[in-house]
Amino acid sequence: MIEQASPVVAAADGALPLFVELPFKWNYVESIIYVSLYVSLTAVLVSTLVSLPIAMLVGFSEFPGKGFLVALINTGMGFPSVVVGLIVLFAVSNQGPFGSLDLLFTTEAMILSQIVLAAPVITGVSLAAVTGVEDGVRDAAYAMGGTRLDVALVTIKEARYGIVTGILAGLGRAISEVGSVLIVGGNIARADGTSVTRTLTTAIQLEARQGRFELAMILGAVLVALVLLINGLVLRLGGSRI
Amino acid sequence: MTGHRGQQRAERRGQQRAERRGQRRQEPNRRVTDGLAVRNVSHGFDDTDVIEDVSLAVERGETVAIIGPSGTGKTTLLRLLSCFHRPDAGTVETDGADVWALSERDRLDVRRRIGMVFQEANLFETTVRRNVSYGQHVRRSWRDRLAQWFSRLRGGDASEAVAESLDLVGLADAGSRPVGSLSGGEAQRVSFARAIAYDPEFLLLDEPTSDLDPRNTAVIEDAIDTARTRGLGVAVATHDMNQAERVADRVAVLLGGRLIEVGPAERVFTNPEDPRARKFIEGELVY
Repeated sequence: MIEQASPVVAAADGALPLFVELPFKWNYVESIIYVSLYVSLTAVLVSTLVSLPIAMLVGFSEFPGKGFLVALINTGMGFPSVVVGLIVLFAVSNQGPFGSLDLLFTTEAMILSQIVLAAPVITGVSLAAVTGVEDGVRDAAYAMGGTRLDVALVTIKEARYGIVTGILAGLGRAISEVGSVLIVGGNIARADGTSVTRTLTTAIQLEARQGRFELAMILGAVLVALVLLINGLVLRLGGSRI
Repeated sequence: MTGHRGQQRAERRGQQRAERRGQRRQEPNRRVTDGLAVRNVSHGFDDTDVIEDVSLAVERGETVAIIGPSGTGKTTLLRLLSCFHRPDAGTVETDGADVWALSERDRLDVRRRIGMVFQEANLFETTVRRNVSYGQHVRRSWRDRLAQWFSRLRGGDASEAVAESLDLVGLADAGSRPVGSLSGGEAQRVSFARAIAYDPEFLLLDEPTSDLDPRNTAVIEDAIDTARTRGLGVAVATHDMNQAERVADRVAVLLGGRLIEVGPAERVFTNPEDPRARKFIEGELVY
């Protein structure tokens, strides 16, 4: 009778490697994840704070040029990220209006470019969600003695799933974006290999170009896992029906 | 002798009534009623008058049914009474005060004395209890709302008025149910409970049972009766003549945006003065 050795015994005997050698340094990947999350989450937070009031104002009021403004917001949703990067580059370069702030090749410049990209998405989707709330619901809030603010709050609450979708779409646009952060951030890493302005997307682009496909694939998987995790968390917290 | 004095008194009273009628015509700001009223109101949308020169009062403790064919302006009349729109002409009054001459704050106070039930339930997407307590919620200060929010986090979300209102429409145990789980009839009953939970003085009902089965209709009609006996002034817009006969003390017949007949329900249904009202009540096509 032949006895089969367990994997642990086999590893101890040297038949299998005890640790798999990873094709990257962990602190490198860790710093890239940190920069990616910091830049994208900050940009989405600021965008949401700006976009929601705009969506409410546009959704609830009638004014000349409203159609044009809505068209502008919708156009912004599909604005090419490279063009946004160029515009932000001009704005923060030495000769630009924000040149004195010395933002070029910093995470703050990357946040700025991602705000420009994410804000129209969050505004556009939130606007559609807010205007999609039935008039009858707003009428009911008014008829029960609600003030204009109460009616607005009810509308936001009724549109919450659409608004959350808009925020997630904005986050998706920000975190998966490569063109503008590459232009204004510069994809910089320190001498020890940790990231200064390198994000998951710019790192994937760099690693793939240098032929380190395993690392590029791993970073890609991390990016997808992060997006899934954030989506899952937000939907869970929101008690989603989406 | 006594008969002669009685005749004199009757003549004097008749003369006084005629004088009062004359004064009413001359004094545009005269107080119509101690209730909720529209006076000589006209209103339209997109340059088309929906209702024209309508005067109607709803007093506390009575139910007025506004009947008429679809599209005749019943909803617009109720929306004017509940201060949704400023009328193009005429006044909306509560206890004699023109509500559109009041400040926004005072008008809000007037609005908060009125409950309204729409043809559609228009419930918020949350639980039944949160819907029914909304009227009380908006009447709280922001500080109290915050306190209420913390109280709810600790599990305290009970209100006697909410429970009582739900009980009135036969949904005492439905407080924790999400509105998505309600049938159409239950949703409309919740809508009714929501409108009376904050103890309004007037209740306006816009075709409240048009989509309901007989059982749910009976529940709503019983609740209307209870509201009236509690002293609320109730106005029900309906095209269901039988319902109007069952619930109303007075009936107003609206046709083509004009009020063609107003009177006690019994008289209007048995002996209407206006031939068009008679035709409508008898089921003939009048539009």
